[in-house]
Amino acid sequence: MSALPSLVLKRVLQSVPLVSAVATLGFVLVHLAPGDAVVALSGEFAHEAVQDELRRTYGLDRSLPAQYLIYVSRLLRGDLGVSYYFQEPVSRVILERLPATLVLVIPSLLLSTVLGVLVGTLLAGTRQPHRARAVIAVAVSSNSVPVFWLAQILLLVFSVRLGLFPVQGMVRARSELSGAALGLEVAWHAALPLLALTLNQVALIAVLTWTNMEEELRREYVRAARSLGLFPGRVRRHALRNALLPVITTVGGRIGALFSGAVLTETVFAWPGLGRLAVLAATNRDYPLVLGLFFFMTLAVLLANLVTDVVYGLVDPRIRTG
Amino acid sequence: MGRVRRVVENLAIAAIAGCCACSGEDGTPSGTTAVIAISADPGHFNPGITTAAQVHAVADSLFNGLVALDAHGNPVPDLATSWDVKEGGKAYVFHLASNVRWHDGEPFTSRDVAFTFKEVLLRFHARTRAGLESAIESIETPDTHTVVFRFRAPHAPFLARLDVTEAPILPAHVFGDGDIERHRANLEPVGTGPFRLDSYRRDDRIVLARNEGYFKPGLPRLDRLVFRVIPDATTEILALERGEVDYVSQLRASDAARLRASRAFTVVATPNGPGGGNCIMTWIFNLERKALAPLAVRRALVRAIDRREILEKVLFGEGKVAKAPFSSGISWAHDAEALEGQKYDPAEARALLEKSAPRLRSIDVVHFPTFLKYGELMKEQLARVGVDLKVRALDRPATVSTIYVKRDFDTGLVSYCNGNDPEIGLRRMYHSSEIGPVAFSNGAAYRNSIIDALFEGAAIEPEREARGRLYRDIQRRVTDELPYWWLLETTSLTAYRRSFRDFAPWSGQFAETASASP
Repeated sequence: MSALPSLVLKRVLQSVPLVSAVATLGFVLVHLAPGDAVVALSGEFAHEAVQDELRRTYGLDRSLPAQYLIYVSRLLRGDLGVSYYFQEPVSRVILERLPATLVLVIPSLLLSTVLGVLVGTLLAGTRQPHRARAVIAVAVSSNSVPVFWLAQILLLVFSVRLGLFPVQGMVRARSELSGAALGLEVAWHAALPLLALTLNQVALIAVLTWTNMEEELRREYVRAARSLGLFPGRVRRHALRNALLPVITTVGGRIGALFSGAVLTETVFAWPGLGRLAVLAATNRDYPLVLGLFFFMTLAVLLANLVTDVVYGLVDPRIRTG
Repeated sequence: MGRVRRVVENLAIAAIAGCCACSGEDGTPSGTTAVIAISADPGHFNPGITTAAQVHAVADSLFNGLVALDAHGNPVPDLATSWDVKEGGKAYVFHLASNVRWHDGEPFTSRDVAFTFKEVLLRFHARTRAGLESAIESIETPDTHTVVFRFRAPHAPFLARLDVTEAPILPAHVFGDGDIERHRANLEPVGTGPFRLDSYRRDDRIVLARNEGYFKPGLPRLDRLVFRVIPDATTEILALERGEVDYVSQLRASDAARLRASRAFTVVATPNGPGGGNCIMTWIFNLERKALAPLAVRRALVRAIDRREILEKVLFGEGKVAKAPFSSGISWAHDAEALEGQKYDPAEARALLEKSAPRLRSIDVVHFPTFLKYGELMKEQLARVGVDLKVRALDRPATVSTIYVKRDFDTGLVSYCNGNDPEIGLRRMYHSSEIGPVAFSNGAAYRNSIIDALFEGAAIEPEREARGRLYRDIQRRVTDELPYWWLLETTSLTAYRRSFRDFAPWSGQFAETASASP
């Protein structure tokens, strides 16, 4: 059992150079983009003297290496700086928006995983090529349409045509709800964005589970189990446990993709989460906020990978015991 | 099939029941609330330190200017109840309303006005600083309700730049000490305006509540304004049609045409809007590029563009073909005949190009992504005369930097808002001192000392008629030289539900007089 903590420690240590590389790369990329924050801050027709003053206020008049040193020394102290756009600490702005994105990302991760594994398992070994082909077709198309297009179609059908769900927002603009009623309201508003994100993800998991299951079902141990007269359901359960290993890896790796899917979904549904924050930060060249989000997303993906490794270890004893 | 339909119906009913469960007692407060869609979060609520449209869209309802502008751009009383222009336009005396209180209860005085101009507007408000900083000689406060502005030379456009968007008055007692750009009050605003800030959830909604102590009797009529941030224009329209929001501004022309067909909405086209007033969609020729330096080339390009087709296909008729370099909204300066000699004539364009620039094959055009339809249609039109227009749609900061800072472009497409006075919105396009790294300045890099002198003369000429003559002279001269091609006069389109009335979409304070119909 002692292998697991040391695995975690190893992963954490490995991520230190990665995080610093990402932080540096982010800084370079952000400053490579043409235009700067001053235009967005001062507004149109900005007087040159106003722009110079703003550059001084935000330290943008210093050389890039100097700005980089300030950025790194702040980062080491855990300080992500202050957002130009919101005039608030970056960490506060990000944490404030995190729940809205988690409300979409976590359920969609769970839903797409459960649904995907279910569909994939049911398909495996059925020897019904028509049904399989149909499922594949749906899966591939739902995974290949752009998520914002899918989102708009869902809006047109379920909000505009059927009038079942609201078009935008997390709560209605007029309402002042709290407690359980607020929870219901958020769930009602989350339904369509959640569906868009989930549909986009479920296909991949389903196909992956299916192909892995097919492979496992052809293995010797399955044939042995069958010949011993085990119930088919029991046999499948054994096969599934092995088939799931690559699926777990994939699910962990989807976190990054989900965040980027959230950028588009949140924009279409006017959902006040991190995805839209990223768009706003980038288009206004709010450097501290862009870098903060970059850093935050990196940590989220690393954490997801760590969790994946741990789960992997729990499922597969070979890893746990080293 | 029947079974499937039944299942869907049952699901629908269950879902509706679910919705009703939460909408029956949905906590909607009593009184009238208007939900206003905005496309970007304001970030802060200090309209004095920026000209950014997203800040003014919300914050202008929290403050007042010395004067307001009516639908035709004429000054009407706001914080100042009356004013005298003295010394031939060199001194302006404002008499302030005496019953005004800040949202925190402190009385409003002339000290606030002097403070706002000296410490905020003339330092941080880009347009006001550019227009007034060097012109103002002194600001005096002879008593608590009188303010006197003295100018070095007569300054005719002054009244047009004193509304809440150009010169919002801020509280001296709140901002008095400290760093104004990053002051706490930028997020916890204290104004005199018809509404005060109630709550703010970034990128979600901003709630303003009626200012019970507003100094104008009977106003405002609405109890609450809720600003809902909806970045996607299609979602915005769907939300309006579904009743989730009541008011949408900056409509796309295609949506306006559709909404006009419905009885449920009022659609208003105004020359002024949150982005600026009297705007002309303008094609900038970068005169520093060799290919565009010869006048004959620019004359050819101008003749290759069918502006009527752009009006119909891009704007669905919402706007008009420009008849002059200056907007028709500034009627006393506009020269309606200026562009009559410049007709769409692709045959002549081709002939001119063959003669003057036989090797000109392609030029680029830089613009915001929102102008893509213009770029594409112009590409089609220029292809007809054998020129390949390379469309470069860049995001806002990149466009500004490419055109005005790096000057790495052949032509650009920019909406130049002329404002209410040529001195405010037009001088920056033509005066040679306005060539430089400033957004929406002289992008063509046009230099003409006669034009410079005419603008300088018009600025200090107190008589409107004489100014008009100078400005018409300018328009004829720049038409001969074509540093720009003036495509279309665009309007700002706003739609709101018929259950509301008396919104003033041309003003920053669009909701001061609005009410819900009984």
